[in-house]
Order: sequence, then C-alpha cells, then structure tokens
Amino acid sequence: MPKLLLVDDEALVRRSMQKTLLRKGFLVETASDCTEGLNIYKAAENTDTPIDMALLDLNMPNFDGVPAHSAGLDLLTKMREINPELLAIVLTAYDEVDTAKEAVKRGARSYFVKGREQGLVDLINEILA
Amino acid sequence: MTSTERQAKLLSVTLRVANNIASILDPQELLQKTVDIICDEFNFYYAGVFLLDDKNEYALLRTGRGKAGDAMIAENHKLKVGGNSMIGASISSQHARIALDVGEEAIFFSNPHLPNTRSEMALPLTVGSNVLGAVTVQSEEEAAFSEADISTLQGMADQLAIAINNADQHAKNQFLLNQAQRRARLLDAANEVGCGVASILNLDELLPKTVDIICEAYNFYYAGVFLIDEKKEYAILRAGRGEAGKAMIAQEHKLKLGGNSMVGMAARERIARISLDVEGEDSFFRNPHLPNTRSEMALPLCISTKCLGAVTVQSEEGNAFSDDDIQTLQTMADHLAIAINNANLIDELERAHAELLRTKTYEALSGATTEAIHWIGNKALPMTITAERMLDDLNEPTLDIASLKEDLEMLDASAKLIVEVKESLLGPARETAPRPLMLSDLWLASAHKTGLQPGKLTVKPAPSAPLAFGDSVQLVRAFSNLLRNAEESGAKNITIATEASEIAGFVTTRISDDGVGIPEEMQDKIWASFFTTKGEGFKGMGLAACLHIISQLGGSIRVESVPEKGTTFIVDLPAVTKLPTADLSPSPTNIAIIAPAGEWTDFATEALRNADKNVSQKFGPNTDLLLLDESLADETLPALEKLGQKTLILSAAPSVENITKYLQAGVKDVVLKPYTTEDLSKTLG
Repeated sequence: MPKLLLVDDEALVRRSMQKTLLRKGFLVETASDCTEGLNIYKAAENTDTPIDMALLDLNMPNFDGVPAHSAGLDLLTKMREINPELLAIVLTAYDEVDTAKEAVKRGARSYFVKGREQGLVDLINEILA
Repeated sequence: MTSTERQAKLLSVTLRVANNIASILDPQELLQKTVDIICDEFNFYYAGVFLLDDKNEYALLRTGRGKAGDAMIAENHKLKVGGNSMIGASISSQHARIALDVGEEAIFFSNPHLPNTRSEMALPLTVGSNVLGAVTVQSEEEAAFSEADISTLQGMADQLAIAINNADQHAKNQFLLNQAQRRARLLDAANEVGCGVASILNLDELLPKTVDIICEAYNFYYAGVFLIDEKKEYAILRAGRGEAGKAMIAQEHKLKLGGNSMVGMAARERIARISLDVEGEDSFFRNPHLPNTRSEMALPLCISTKCLGAVTVQSEEGNAFSDDDIQTLQTMADHLAIAINNANLIDELERAHAELLRTKTYEALSGATTEAIHWIGNKALPMTITAERMLDDLNEPTLDIASLKEDLEMLDASAKLIVEVKESLLGPARETAPRPLMLSDLWLASAHKTGLQPGKLTVKPAPSAPLAFGDSVQLVRAFSNLLRNAEESGAKNITIATEASEIAGFVTTRISDDGVGIPEEMQDKIWASFFTTKGEGFKGMGLAACLHIISQLGGSIRVESVPEKGTTFIVDLPAVTKLPTADLSPSPTNIAIIAPAGEWTDFATEALRNADKNVSQKFGPNTDLLLLDESLADETLPALEKLGQKTLILSAAPSVENITKYLQAGVKDVVLKPYTTEDLSKTLG
C-alpha cells in the first residue's frame, strides 16, 4: 500500500483530501506546514515504511512560519536533499505556467491544480506505476 | 514825472514783476505778464522775450506785446545768435545792448512790424554763465532809456531768467517724476503678473488676469494672449481684453504662424514686433473687432529656444509705446512664458499622475480581487471534494455514518467561513453616525462583545483624556477586531491606555499585548483584506476593517511590534473640543445605574446628582428608571421580573439579535449609551 505525505495548511482541504485518498487505498500522513512536513518525512525515512510520494501545497507557511507563495518548493528542496529520488506532486490553487516549470525544475514529478481530485488519484497511480 | 517819482515807480514795477515771477508757474503766462508790465508801466512801445532753440543757433520769439507780437509769433519770428540784430548780439555777448537811436545802431534789425521804434534795449537772460535768451524793449522815442531804466530792467531780466530757468527745471523734474511714476506703475503691473505667475497655475485664470492688468496699468486699448497649437501651425487666442476679446475667443480666433500678422511673425521669429503706426505695417492684421488700433506690439512668449505663443498689446494712439513700456512688457511676457510652461508641466504631471493612479488602482483592485477569489476558492475547495466523496459513499452498500457526519461538518465549517466574511466586508462600509465617545467605555464594551477572559484586559483610567468623536457601533467593531487579534496572537495581557494626542485635536489609544508579535516584513501587509499570519480558519479581515473604520472617522492607526515580545496598535481619533451640555432636571428623580465601575458610571452618577437626582446602584421599589449596561444585562434581567418596563438597556453597539432579545424580555428600550450630558438628557427623555 503506497504511503503518501500530504502537506497543506488548510485543515478542511487537508482532511477532505486525506479521506479521499484513504478511500482509494493509500496510506496518508498529513502535516500543516513545512517544518512539520519535513519532520514527518525525516522520521518516515528511518522506518520500514518510508514516504513513497509527497503531495505539497505550494502556498503555505514557510520554515519561519510566514505564509509564502513558494513554501512548498522550499520544502521539496529540503526533502530531495535527503532523498534525491523522492516522487512529489506540487498542489496549488493557481494554474501558473512559470510556477509549474519552476516546480519541475526543483524535482517535482507533476504540478496539480486542486479541485479535480479524481484526476489527482489517477496522476498518483500513474507516477507510482 | 520827476526823476524821484520815476525811481519810485521803477521800484514798484520791479516788485510787481518779482511777485509775478514768484506766483506764476506757467512759463508762457509769466513771459506774457512780464512784457505787459514793462510796456504798461514804463509806457514803452514794445517788449518781447526770446528764448534760445535747442541748438543755441537762434533766439525764438516766445512772447511779444500787442498785435505786432502776435503777428511775429504767428510767423515764428526768430533771430540768429550773433547775427544782424541787437537780440542776437546781446545773447552772444551776454551783455545788454542799448541803442538810443536805432537808426545809428549798426546791428539793429529793421522790423516791419515795429516801424516806429527809435530806441531799443536788448537785455540778455542769463543764469550764471548760461544764457537762456534775451528781452527786447523798444520805444518810439530817441534816447528813451535812462540809466535807472536800464538798471531796473536788467534786474528784472535777471529775475525773469531765474524764473524761466526754474520753470524749465520744474518742467524737466515734472517730466522725470511722471516718468518715474509711470515706471513704478508698470513695475507694479509686472510684479502683479509675476505674483500671478507664481501663484496661479490655471491658465484659464492667469491669462485673462494678465491681459486685464496690462490694459489697466498701461491704459492700452487691447491686450491678448495667443498660445501655439500642438501642430505648431497656429497661434490660438486664449485670452483677450473686453468685449472684443470675448467675441474673438467665441470665434476661436487664431493667426497662422509666420503669416500676415504681427503675432504670427513674433511667435515664429521669436522676436518682438513693434509698430508705432500700424497703417504702414505690412504684417499688421486688420482686425474688425479692433478698428481703432494705431500702435501694436507683439511680444513672443519664449522659454529658452522654445516659443509658446505671443502677447499682443494695442493702443488707439500712434507712437504709443515708450522704451519703458517695451522693456516692462517683455519682462512680463517672459514671466508669463515661465508660468505657461509651468502650467503645461503641471498638466503633464497631473496626466502622468492620473495614469499612475489608474494603474495602481487597477493593480490594487486586481490584487485584492485575486486575494478574495483565492481565499473563497480555498474555503470552497473542501466542499466540492467532500460532496463528491459523499456521493460515492452513498452508493456503498454500507453507510459509514461517522464519516458522513464528519463530511457534513466540513461542509458546514467551509460554508460558515464564506458567509461570515460577508459581514466582515460589508460591516465597516455602513453609514456612520459620529458623536462624542468615551473610549475607555468602548473598550470595555468591545471586550464584552468578544468574550475576552476577565482579567486579561486592563483599561488604564484616563480622566484627563478628551472624548473622541466617532461612531460607537463602528468603533466597537474595530476595537473588537483588535482585541480578537491580540488574543489570537497568544497574549496573556492586553493593556489599553488613552491620552490626549501629540497631534492637536486628536485623542490617542495604545493597545498593547504580550503575544507573539508580527514579523517586520509582514507589518505592511497586515492591513490588506484576506491577509493573515495566523493560518487557515482566520479570515484576515479584522485589521483591514479596523483601517477602513478608523480612516472613515478621520483617524489613523499604525502598528509597532517586536516578534516574540508583543504588539502595540496606536489609534488616533478626532477629539471633541467642546463638550455639549444639557439640563437634566426634567428627567426622572430616582434613577438606578447598574453598570461596571469605571469612568462612565462616575460620569453618569455625577451628572445626575448635579441635577439633584437620587442615584443608586440598586433597583428598588422607588426607582423611576433603571439604566442597565448591556454587559450586565444577561445576568441582571432575570432578577428584574416584571420591573423591566422601567429599564433602559444602554449599549455602545447594540446588535439586532440583542435588541430583539431584550425587548422580548420586557425592557422599555435598548438605546445607544450616552457619553455627554446632552446625550444623557436625550436618553432620559
């Protein structure tokens, strides 16, 4: 059963997405900001069930706790310093070409605009396959 | 007449001439009077006065006795200096010439108008070494002049010379004085235009004023200002004096640059064109609105090498413009050109500013709209995901009730956040009703409204602080947001201190907390709608609403914060400078006040007691009226039972929900809490 880490600062979004993904057969860990997300990721790396894929919200509090438009990318960079092979999808509310390019440049496998969750499930399965 | 009698008469005549010299200021009258006295008193045949021309070549007859004199004046009679005449000789030698028998006098000029002359005396008119002319005295008798006559008449001539010299100097001085006065007037006019130039940036005001000043100060027939059009083809009339000017402006009068007009020429060539007689001027534009123009001057309006237009000045007289006129008007035109240039620059600046403002406004609106859409989108997002999942779940053979309940709660939470933001956005925009307010009491009301833990808030007493002028409902909304903000920042203590502001006419409140503070880089952003440092669940509307409300009331708000130490918001609001008062004697006699101890209770108690009312802190059988503070209403009302009809609930910011609740509980009314005796009087009815 693939293990996902979902990092999003909006509690309702986080919980709702978690439930959807759980229903689809994923293990889902959640975090509400960069610091918590990195800690969960590090902790999981040292177990038998590391994170298979990270789903990172783009716009959320950064490592200083201050809302930032590219906080998710900063978290991705830190995670990939630990595991350069990490599979990650960046989640965002905006459909922005430049930000999508930047996400891929930083090592994300995909860039997903929130709101079409079935599409997200398909995307996750495709990447994991 | 004996020699003694003649001597006396001579003295008398001398005296009379001297009096005339002293009293007559007009030189021509003086000369005429002198020859009349000489002839009348001495019985001489003829007397006349010659004055030198400008070149000192001829002595010109300026006055002569009788018809002979008039005839010679009409003929412009003149005698060459040093020539064949006694006058010419006396002037050149500066000595008297006396011919007791003119027939024997070698240099006697035989004059057909004076055929009977037998003796003649020519007396030079000298002042110091300067000779001004000469006096001729003629007699029909031979040897007519005695030594006494000669001496007396020479004395008279000397006095006359001094008088003529004085009159001449006086005329010169008068001319210089007039010139100086005119120059001063012109400089005043130039100065007035200069002042206008410095103070008036609106050309529609400055240009008409300038043409009026020119015409009034110089007494000219017409003045107008032309400005060159954008294509640099025409000089267009922008201001013109009087009815002619109005008519030409109405006709959009314009002159081609370099065309058949002085203005067009001056504007193209950038040099002044002056015509002292326009009839001979090829480039004169014959204007039907200005038929009487005889002289015209067209002065270019130049800044460096750039010509902006031209000023036309016109007179009904030929040769109307002196050097002073030209000089001062050109200076005025130069100043005017600077003003026009400045006005154009201001116009350009205003256009650029308006463009910038449009861009900035668009950016701000676009930014705010994007933030709002993003915020609402984020809040709505869980609703779509959850609803989709619930639909799937409902198709499952076994319903997971706990999961469905959780999903419904998520839908409810998301929907509530979206609905609540409506009040946060619209509330501050409601119409305000400013009145004098006691800020310390508003803070207590705000603390009650937000449900702040008792003991967390300290409102420092400020008996010397002036009342603020504002809307209590809106301020309670703003203060509640600030208190909520402090509490959400983790503050354990919140302190309110109010005092007269350093800015005259304002009152300052400092709201300090010991919460987590605001990072420096966020301090400029906190005033924007939908911005929050506290993460999801917070709307980010509170401080935006505070800024809106306080600004709308004419106040200001700023923040000082140290991360991990705490935050202080400083609110400046307009202060009430004169407290309105009223007579409280018509109000009920026995009044109970149930309100938190503090400034407001002290104020109301004192005001009512000063009006000889019985004030108590408890409701008793004799109580005519109970003033019950809203913050204590919920706990007090049940105890009042049927006595609610004597109860007025006082609220700084009554809500419709609470008003309904209290009225249903049977109170007389729910009213705005009064902070002056005038408002208290209205409350008590």
